[in-house]
This record gives sequence, structure tokens and C-alpha cells, in this order.
Amino acid sequence: MSGEAKLIIQDLCHHYPDEYTGESVHALEGINLQVYENEFVAIVGPSGCGKTTLLNIVAGLLPYREGRAMVDGNEIHGPGPDRGVVFQEHAILPWRSVARNIGHGLELQRVPKEETRRRVQEYIDLVGLSGFEDRYPHELSGGMKQRVAVARTLCADPVIMLMDEPFAAVDAQTRITLQDELNRIVMATRKTILFITHSVEEAAFLGDRCIVFSRRPGQIKTEIKIDIPREERVWKDMADNPKFTEARDKILRLVRQEVTSDDEH
Amino acid sequence: MTAITEFSVAIQKRVGRKRLLKAWKFLMGTVPFLFIIGMWELNTHFGWFPPIEIPPLSDVWGAIFFLQTDCPGFVAAMQQHNECNLTNNIMSSVGRVILAGFVGIPLGIAFGILAGMNRTISGYLEPIGIFMNSVSGIAWIPLAIVWFGVGWETTLFIMLNTIFWLIFFNTMMGVRAVPKVLVQGVQTMGGSYFDTIKHVFLPGAMPSIITGMRMSLGFGWRALIAAEMIGGDSGLGFMIFVSAVEFKTEEVFLGVILISLIYLISDRYLLVPLEKWTIERWGLVWKPT
Repeated sequence: MSGEAKLIIQDLCHHYPDEYTGESVHALEGINLQVYENEFVAIVGPSGCGKTTLLNIVAGLLPYREGRAMVDGNEIHGPGPDRGVVFQEHAILPWRSVARNIGHGLELQRVPKEETRRRVQEYIDLVGLSGFEDRYPHELSGGMKQRVAVARTLCADPVIMLMDEPFAAVDAQTRITLQDELNRIVMATRKTILFITHSVEEAAFLGDRCIVFSRRPGQIKTEIKIDIPREERVWKDMADNPKFTEARDKILRLVRQEVTSDDEH
Repeated sequence: MTAITEFSVAIQKRVGRKRLLKAWKFLMGTVPFLFIIGMWELNTHFGWFPPIEIPPLSDVWGAIFFLQTDCPGFVAAMQQHNECNLTNNIMSSVGRVILAGFVGIPLGIAFGILAGMNRTISGYLEPIGIFMNSVSGIAWIPLAIVWFGVGWETTLFIMLNTIFWLIFFNTMMGVRAVPKVLVQGVQTMGGSYFDTIKHVFLPGAMPSIITGMRMSLGFGWRALIAAEMIGGDSGLGFMIFVSAVEFKTEEVFLGVILISLIYLISDRYLLVPLEKWTIERWGLVWKPT
């Protein structure tokens, strides 16, 4: 990948005390990772492998002690507007209308009202929510809520967008639509993205690069480049794309290894 | 279709089913009241109980004018003229509720938010909150009389004490119930500590705060009436007490009816609209489908 590294993670390890027993849990071990400008990196791994822990560290929601993590050359200390996060679900504010949710980041950064309005409209159009500006989240479907969440993050224009299994809680049909749309949005915005998922298909469909995690303690097992131009990444064509099926099957084998070796214990 | 069903369908179409159901519900609610009023009138007619125990309805109505006999007029009543007994007592009670609300509610919300967000603060304040809420507000009246004497200080103290702890406790619980991910969302967009309070914890605790306001209006109003009876020198509770001592039963009845009417009106025109405007609009109210 060309361009400069927007996210650099060096020798990152993480331990945390178990909520019930208090024992130290080894969540991450020796993570080295770079995400370059305009790159879409998907992290895939079995559940409990520490991929969400990694995302929380990058988001600044979880303090870390061993190793380094930098965004745009700045060491990560706490959350900040340079790293936008799309959470799994229910993270947009119920007491704000669609437009006010999407413009929230700009409001917090004291961007003038006129510019906020213009940019909010731009992202409402981008995610296809025109006409729903004044609706409240409880009036929207699950898929629409996640579109608001994506638009909210993009509208604040972060250096890198972090996505934590954003489509895991919607139904299968909606998920396919949202994945297609995310692809279109990535093409339109050229945003740098770190995407966490447990779905092999999703990772292979969306990622420029897929990072496969081992089970706990989470380590990077392999890295697979998926060399399919964005324009060709549409679900109705992807099923017969040999590059996609090959990458998908390879990732699936690697993840299966982790899951089955887990069963033997 | 019979004529009756046809008529019924036509009415439903014209007025709307929902409104009809609402009207029907209202009518059902009035039945017990109409029954009581009917029995009351019958008692006046047959004289089962003497007027000193149950005065005629017309006397209760008449008490309004008797109490206001020497009141020079509406403007004087608003200026709390000495001779306007009834309006003065109403304003005195309502004024105390408003004053105690203006002080107690913001104070309770502020402490509740702090305690809800911070385990150390709630560690200190939660047990005393439970202690205070378990003691009935009126239990403090004798002590308050010792401290403040008979008068407005005692009644205000009773009200404040009731309101503050209720609002504090409900706000704290509401803040704790706010999903963590909403806070994290605001933090990752660059929101400060103060932003999380303003944009997340305060609106997120709103359902609970409104419940607290409902409860404090109910409990507070009751405590106030009791406090006025024992430790007050004005107000509807005071009026009831004095009238009973003087065997003016019709004034007692009038006072009781006014107390419940004022509560009903303030709930319906203050708290219900607040609820509609906030938590109902945000979809935070559980509604039967």
C-alpha cells in the first residue's frame, strides 16, 4: 500500500483483571500493525480473541501499558475526535434527531452552524437518509440506525474510522445491503478504516487487507491481501469472483483452525 | 347490519376510534365521583348525618364566597390582601411547593448526577439517601418545629427534605442506567466530561428524573399539608385544621377538594406535558401495544 501509515501499533500487549475472579487475563500479545492512508483493514478472528480490546485501545477507551499505539504520529491517550468509532449497536443518542445525531461531532468541535448544516446534509444524502432528518432513532429500523451511526462518525471527519462489528446486530438481508453501501461510501470518501468482525465473508468482501487473529492471547496469525478493485465489490457479482472465494476460503480455514484447536482443550 | 351497528360504525368513523375509547375511559372514571355526589345530595335531602358532620354540597360551594367575603377583588387577592382568606392560603401552599421545587429539584439533580457518575461519591451518599427516603417526610415535623418554630421555615424544610432525597435518588439510578456505549460515543467524538453530562447523562436520566418529580410532587404536597396543620401558620393544611377546630366542616371539605384538585392540575398540565416533550418524543417510555 502506498501512502503514509495513519495508525501504527508496535509490540502492543494487554492484560486485564477478570471481572469475577480477579485473575489476570492475557488479551493481546505482541501486536504489530500499520494501517495506511485510504486503506481498509479488516480484523477477523474467533470470539474472545481480543479484537475488540484492540479497537478499544486504539479508540482510547482502554488504557494500555505495554507497547505503543499512534494515530497520525500522535501517541494515543484517551479518546479523541481524530478516531471515530462505529459501535455494534444502540450508540446513537435516542434524544437527538437524525440530523442532530449526525452533526453531533461537529457541534462538540464548535464548528459554525452554517457549515455543520451543509455537511450534515451531505452525509445524510450519502447514507441515503434524506427525508428522515427530523426523525428520532426509535422511529428508525436497525439498518437505518447503523447508517446514522456511520454518517455521524464520517461527518466529524476523523483521521481513521474504527468499526466494531457494526453490522452484527442487523438481519441478514439488511447486512448485505449495508455492506454494499459501506463499499460505496468507502469509494466516495476514501476514508481510512479499521474494521473488526467475526464474519469471514464480511472481512473478505470489505477489506483491502485481512488480519486473522489467533485465539487468546490475541496475536496476528496471518495477513491476507485482497486485491479486488472496489468497483467490482458488489455482492451480486462477488459470489463468482474467484479472487474473493479464494481469499474467503483461505481466511475461513485459518479461523477454523483457531476454533477447532480451542475445542480440543 | 342492524341500524345500531351501522350507527356505531358511522360514529366511530366520524369521531375516530381512539378518541371514542378515550372519552369512554373518562366517563368510566367519573362514575365513582358521580356516585359520591349523588349519595351526598341524598344525605342532604334525608338528613342521615347532621350538617356538622357532612355539610350540604351547596355549603361547601358557599364556603368559597364566605372565606372571600371581605376580599376587595381579584387584584387584591393576587396581592395577598389580608381579607382574602382562601386565596391567601392557596397561594401560600402553592408558593411553598414552587419554592421548594425550584431549590430542591436542581439540587437533587446535581447531586444525583455526580453520585450516578462517580462510585466514590455514591459510596458516601447512597446509604444516607436510603436512610432519608425510608423516613416519612412528616416524621421530621416535630423536630422541625423545635428547630424553626411554627411558620414557613418549618413547612419549607419538610418540603425540601422530601423533594431533595427523592430527586437525588431517582437521578442517581437514572444516570447509572445510561448505557456506557452512549457515553463512549460522545467521548470518541471529542466530547468533554461536561459534554457527557449535558448530552448523555442528563437526558438519559430523564425518565427517572421525571418519575422522581412525580413522586416528589405527590409526597411533597402531602407532607406540606401535614406540616401546615401542625407546624404552619398559613396554607390549605392550616386552614383545614383551624376550620375543623371551629367546627366549620364545609371549609374542611372545601380544603380537601382543593388539595386534590391542585395536585391533579399540576400533574396534568406540568408533568404530563414535560413527559410528552422529552421522554415520549425520544421513545424512552414503555408503551403497551
